[in-house]
Amino acid sequence: MKINFFANIRDITKTKSIEIEYSETLREALLKISEIYGKKLRKEIFDGGNLSNRVIILVNGRHIAHLQGIDTTLNENDEISIFPVVAGG
Amino acid sequence: MYGWMGKLIRVNLTDGSIKVENLNMKDAKMYLGARGLGTKIFMDEVDAKVEPLSSENKVIFLTGPLTGTLAPCAGRYEVVTKAPLTGTIGASNSGGHFGPELKYAGYDGIIFEGKSEKPVYLYINNGEMVLKNAEHLWGKTVYETTDMLLEETDANARVACIGPAGEKLVLYATIMNDKHRAAGRSGLGAVMGYKNLKAVVVKGTGSVEVANPLEFYKACVDSRAKIQANPVEQGLGVYGTQLLVNILNQFGSLPTRNWRDGGVFENAEDTSGEALSEKYLVKSKACFGCPIGCGRITRIPDGKYAGMGEGPEYEAGWSFGADCGIKDLAAICKANFICNEYGMDPITLGSTIACAMELFDKGVINKEDVGFVLQFGDPDAIVDLAKMTALKEGFGAKIAEGSYRMADEYGYPELSMTVKKQEMPAYDGRGIQGMGLEYATSNRGGCHVRGYMTSVEVVGIPEKLDPLVTTDKAAWLKIFQDLTGVIDSAGICLFTSFAIGLPEISELIRTATGCDCSDEEVLRIGERIWNLEKIFNLEAGFTKADDTLPPRLLKEGLPAGPAKGKVNELAGMLEEYYKGRGWDEDGIPTDEKLEELSLK
Repeated sequence: MKINFFANIRDITKTKSIEIEYSETLREALLKISEIYGKKLRKEIFDGGNLSNRVIILVNGRHIAHLQGIDTTLNENDEISIFPVVAGG
Repeated sequence: MYGWMGKLIRVNLTDGSIKVENLNMKDAKMYLGARGLGTKIFMDEVDAKVEPLSSENKVIFLTGPLTGTLAPCAGRYEVVTKAPLTGTIGASNSGGHFGPELKYAGYDGIIFEGKSEKPVYLYINNGEMVLKNAEHLWGKTVYETTDMLLEETDANARVACIGPAGEKLVLYATIMNDKHRAAGRSGLGAVMGYKNLKAVVVKGTGSVEVANPLEFYKACVDSRAKIQANPVEQGLGVYGTQLLVNILNQFGSLPTRNWRDGGVFENAEDTSGEALSEKYLVKSKACFGCPIGCGRITRIPDGKYAGMGEGPEYEAGWSFGADCGIKDLAAICKANFICNEYGMDPITLGSTIACAMELFDKGVINKEDVGFVLQFGDPDAIVDLAKMTALKEGFGAKIAEGSYRMADEYGYPELSMTVKKQEMPAYDGRGIQGMGLEYATSNRGGCHVRGYMTSVEVVGIPEKLDPLVTTDKAAWLKIFQDLTGVIDSAGICLFTSFAIGLPEISELIRTATGCDCSDEEVLRIGERIWNLEKIFNLEAGFTKADDTLPPRLLKEGLPAGPAKGKVNELAGMLEEYYKGRGWDEDGIPTDEKLEELSLK
């Protein structure tokens, strides 16, 4: 499954995207990439055991707030995107 | 006098007379300043059926009570007139440093009426003001004009001016201040151009007094701390607004090729904020008193699009990027530089070019009409047409009318992605339902910023709403529209609202002005302003039929992406919206609502 990184998340991962082995839930996938990219990424994504309020996470373009949050179950070819919170106008 | 300066300058361009008047303080308390008070003054003095490009139209520059104070991001002012592009009440907000300087000179604002026989500019130096000949400036770009004016008046003065686009009456000409900041939408620059008013130059050495200095100071420190600690504000400083390109694309709501090809642009990454930061960003830039610094100083070092300037902002980058199917970021930047230099709205320009590209694709217009082959994806097209449009040369004269009038002339008005003849920016209302409602109901036509539902539907601030559903959108939109009215009228920047809300903003207003108004009363000011603008539009001839969206958004489902198949479900939301606003089923404010808001 593909995970896309944007903005300052890319500064940490030094890459735009990565392919990882299938994970059943989003939480597992996020823990997996936290292992790969280390403390800096973990700090952005997690606040303790919960998702931080500094990131927006989409699964196939749907914000996880409208799925099952961090416990969203994933399918084999799902695409995950991780953004910092940004806005404009 | 606290917050406000209590004085307005009235300039009659016909007979050259200049007077100073007292600000109506009763109105100031009811409408605050800038957008709200400017609209009230305008409506008291000008008939809603006035021709925008006429001597009878007036153009008002107005600051807010917080402009020029220690409040965060307190550099804002508004220009109010009847808009040439839309025929609605036109009010455009701008940052930079011009607004504070006007207050330091001793004035809340300036009312221009009539029409000068020859090009002139107004020079204000504290208590002295004079209309000076501007014939030597006519035809000069915004940058040239600003430099020349600073040379001949005062090196530390601040300049608001039009470029050649305003002089040529391009229907979406801007008023630029401090070279790169814009009162951008709806063609207010053309009103100045029509009146032969080239610029306003201000030098002020005074200051703004506040009612409760210690309490005000505390409120400023509190607000600034919240802004500086906020991740959205931090992100804006580092990346600017262009970061939204990839996000909107992932949401399947980045309108592509005149909104024809859905909300996913295959080359979004090339035009993104990340790409901009990597390739062309020199540094960030802040307006007066702003800790966010979302402005971009950008430089294309070489090649045919070489140049330097500021921006692009997200919506400008979108209009030249995804909307025209263009991935060449240097060309996108260059087109935006030309807009700033010549004084035009990049959102309307890019959208109009995109519309022309679709007309070309359909065979409605051809190489003979345009002068060259006009295709989606051609970077030269946006750069060449930008200049041609500013000077109304060749096909540029058609583009200068905006997409609605152009498409209508060719028999395809439905291909103009506009509401009330103003082009909708960069958020597809089919994938983001609430944004569609904002476009349909905004008092100045296709405007994203006055009811920025993207905040809740995409980002999740202060709460996350599902962009694909219509539930609760009407209620939230009203809150956004009303609060934005307050912010636009107080004189601070809308971007503060990602970090601070009604309580903080109300406290800033209370402690600065000494007004004893509750948070609810402050929000009601915003509601009052929204209703006042609505009344103007009704008097100008707008009806419920104008609160709609282009057929593409109502009938053509998005072809791909997470919002595939979606159209904007406007009807239900609109009904709810009218009800929530206390308007009847035709969208007319009821007597009850008008009395509640002291508008009757």
